[in-house]
Amino acid sequence: MSNPSFDYYAQQKHGHAHEHDHARDQHAAIETREGPPSEYEIMSRAMQELLEEKDLITADQVRQKMERFEEELPYRGSKVVARAWTDREFKQRLLEDGKAACAEMGIDLEADRLIAVENTPAVHNVIVCTLCSCYPRSLLGMPPTWYKSSNYRSRVVFEPRAVLKEFGTELAEDVTVRVHDSNADMRYLVIPMRPEGTDGWSEEQLSEILTRDTLVGVTTPGVPRK
Amino acid sequence: MTSASPPVAKPRYPSTYNPAPGHRFNVGDRIAIRRTFPPGHRRTPFYIRGKQGVIERICGAFANPEELAYGFDGEPKKVLYRVRFLQKHVWPDYNGPQHDTIDMEIFEHWLEPLPDTRN
Amino acid sequence: MSDASRNKGPHDIGGEEAGPVDTIDHGMKFWERQANGLRSVLRERDLVRTDELRRAAEDLGEQYSKLEYFERTTSALRTVLLEKNLITEDELKSKMAEVRARFNVPDEMESPLKKGARR
Repeated sequence: MSNPSFDYYAQQKHGHAHEHDHARDQHAAIETREGPPSEYEIMSRAMQELLEEKDLITADQVRQKMERFEEELPYRGSKVVARAWTDREFKQRLLEDGKAACAEMGIDLEADRLIAVENTPAVHNVIVCTLCSCYPRSLLGMPPTWYKSSNYRSRVVFEPRAVLKEFGTELAEDVTVRVHDSNADMRYLVIPMRPEGTDGWSEEQLSEILTRDTLVGVTTPGVPRK
Repeated sequence: MTSASPPVAKPRYPSTYNPAPGHRFNVGDRIAIRRTFPPGHRRTPFYIRGKQGVIERICGAFANPEELAYGFDGEPKKVLYRVRFLQKHVWPDYNGPQHDTIDMEIFEHWLEPLPDTRN
Repeated sequence: MSDASRNKGPHDIGGEEAGPVDTIDHGMKFWERQANGLRSVLRERDLVRTDELRRAAEDLGEQYSKLEYFERTTSALRTVLLEKNLITEDELKSKMAEVRARFNVPDEMESPLKKGARR
């Protein structure tokens, strides 16, 4: 069993949404007051304001995207996989055509094209984008900092087991580790193996243990001890 | 004879995959990635150039990112495949089990056929 | 043959030796989330393409590994917006000076950052 690593979105799920936003704004304000904002922060804000002034975009559009990325997108992946765990035929459809299966659930992946890959006793999947940071954002929100880090991107393709160990995940020699470098138009989601001790759980209960890290494949879901 | 009322159409959901008219390769084909190092925006990682693998899946035809990157429309579309490689064929010093694999998506123009060997 | 002569971009790092992964997710600062929102809106409205942004980041050369993730994406966006003449160098320079000045407001007054964030 692996240790769950810090899951940014899992924390937010349990906090009050508005309080959290306020806390983040405060945090951001405090960070800035401690020192000047970086040139890049200034550049980014300046570009946004110019584009708004030219009526190419509006501040509202950007704000809505920010909300969607924080409050909606990150929680969809676990819902999809929880359903796959409880409905064998849905899982088959998900494996055959990820985008269609999500649409069936009313989850529009927009530009993302999903390939779901299943962990079994024989195969463990792990996802990376070595070239940049391609990630199933429409199902998991924004990628964690480690996913975007050069150390992860460069090493997980040639020493996946060593990298997985750093996340607390160890796999037997007879399990095939399958790395997916999402380098073009497809995006990937791992369907972890359903752990023992979850019989009769609702989809909601199951989605709670399907943390972001399990859906990228660096950890496996754990059942919290009662 | 008049037909009964037409069957209710099943909902059509958007697919992950695109059609791949005229695709050159099929699932199971053994291929090599072209050993070429052109300048410019490419989505074929350096580490896979010249390596041998097997077609795992046909993803369909997509606009060419190598052209889209420079403001062109990326047409005509190129067929994209998922290719599976044994890690031991990618990294000479791979120190994991010999059955570990790495999969990625490669556009048709980066693929060369290999003779099909049968054991 | 050096990597550069084989046209290996600074982003094409699969297979390179590197240190341990910092497995903690450090999340995103407010301006980074806003930058992501901006990019997302621009893409959706087809004002910039993902492939163009990727290519502009890859063209950062030596700078690529020196910048953090959102610094790279911001730099890439700047390149593409200038290329397409959606903004000009002069406009950007002036606006940046204006934004910079706003952040120099003393602590006693309400933080302009919060004001700016609510716009």
